[in-house]
Amino acid sequence: MTLHGWYPVFLREMLLFRRKLLKMGYLVSAMLVPLIYLAVFGYGLGKNVRLNGGDYLTFLIPGLVAMSSMTNSYTWVASALNLNRLYFKTFQLLIQAPISAGAIMLGEVLAGMVKGLFAASLLIVMGLCAPGHFQLTLPMLLALLLNCFMFASLGVVTGMLAKSHEDTSTYNNFFILPMSFFSGTFFPLDGLPALLKGVIYLLPLTHTNILIRKATLDNSAIISLLVMVVYTLIFWFVGSRLIRRYSE
Amino acid sequence: MIAVNNIRKSYGKVQALDGVSFTIDKGEVFGLLGPNGAGKSTLIRMLTCLTRPDDGSASIAGHDVVGGAAAIKSLVGVVPQENNLDRELSVEENLRIYGKLHRVVNQPRKIDEVLREVELTERRDSVVNGLSVGMKRRLIIARALLTDPAVLFLDEPSIGLDPQIRRQLWEIVRRTRKAGRTVLLTTHYIEEADALCHRIGVLRKGKLIALDTAAALKEMVGPYVVDQLSEDGRLLQHTARSREEAHALARSLENGCTVRRTNLEDVFVKLTGERIE
Repeated sequence: MTLHGWYPVFLREMLLFRRKLLKMGYLVSAMLVPLIYLAVFGYGLGKNVRLNGGDYLTFLIPGLVAMSSMTNSYTWVASALNLNRLYFKTFQLLIQAPISAGAIMLGEVLAGMVKGLFAASLLIVMGLCAPGHFQLTLPMLLALLLNCFMFASLGVVTGMLAKSHEDTSTYNNFFILPMSFFSGTFFPLDGLPALLKGVIYLLPLTHTNILIRKATLDNSAIISLLVMVVYTLIFWFVGSRLIRRYSE
Repeated sequence: MIAVNNIRKSYGKVQALDGVSFTIDKGEVFGLLGPNGAGKSTLIRMLTCLTRPDDGSASIAGHDVVGGAAAIKSLVGVVPQENNLDRELSVEENLRIYGKLHRVVNQPRKIDEVLREVELTERRDSVVNGLSVGMKRRLIIARALLTDPAVLFLDEPSIGLDPQIRRQLWEIVRRTRKAGRTVLLTTHYIEEADALCHRIGVLRKGKLIALDTAAALKEMVGPYVVDQLSEDGRLLQHTARSREEAHALARSLENGCTVRRTNLEDVFVKLTGERIE
């Protein structure tokens, strides 16, 4: 499968993203939810909480980075693709262009990554400025990049499957929102009942949260990395197939 | 250049296309005439690789629309019925992205050319949202022409436009015709089909019920029409094979009648029993 032709797909999204960036509303909306979580759980509820000998903020910020990069990568791709396909009909231009399904997928996913990384970078800057011991590590960067790629790929799947724009919110409510709370973003998973823990370990964001908090690539980090790679490949394969088989 | 062979497509219980067959020669402007829901847009979507047929086959320049989609995509330009421009991007950005998707060589020169062709040069930096409906239609045509397509598909190109802008679009299509391109045009404006097309196919409920030149279609139903106003105020129309026959018929009818030449709308009414809306 040739990926030649991904660049104009990516460029189009970036031109639209640049226009959105110039509007203050976008910046505020990208920042608002993680800022609220940071204020409520970090500076409010978590002020006197200590985890594994460290302060709660140091635990929370990497989780918020994972969550924020997930929601932004996923939501922007799912929502834009769905709207472009069903309402604006601009997706049809990509299908009618002499480029492969893989090229369309790659362009959309890379654009989703940029949006996820942008939102995460705002949080990283805040984390570096906040009191505590938050620091950038190699596993964190790896987790962040893979997380964005993985959830942008899932965004393509949702964007292609959803039969209306309301449907994307339904997928969001059933899958993305619960995962944000139960995948180790706000609390460690060690103390959970075994059955619940088993379910939670099946969720891709859980492995991002494990990897993103690691200082080095130890065995458990590598296992989480491999799980993320497997999820990424599955989402990529399904997304590409949906694009390739697209017919109105 | 285009061959459609017994093509079928249904959406649930609705039969959008029901065994349609025809061919279009290279350089021909072919019109598909029919009311809303006749299957015109489905046929264009099929020929431009957006919709897969349930049955039958279609090809462009020998490439099958399913198996040879990649080759077809490099040959055709599409003007869809709806505005599918990127509304938040500028005129030039829309063309630039499209040019890159289709690997247009010497893109800046081509963009200049097509903008001149549709008289939008001065609006190249304008955001699409700020353009009038007519300008947006012209931009969509410019985009379709950017790749120098061998075949141009125009799906209801002048729908919703005022008569003056519609005629501007007709001029663009005429220039395209002179450039030797094959054009498939769908419309439910009778006048448009008459003015632009070498041959016209009449599509109704997914079936091609007539196909010929406008003159031959008019001849087929009778070259003259006698309009008669009935006592209850309805317009009754009778076709005649000659002027003499039409005048004789007019004299024999009780109410006031007028005799005129048949137009394509009369052909449509005669063939389908309904008026095109």
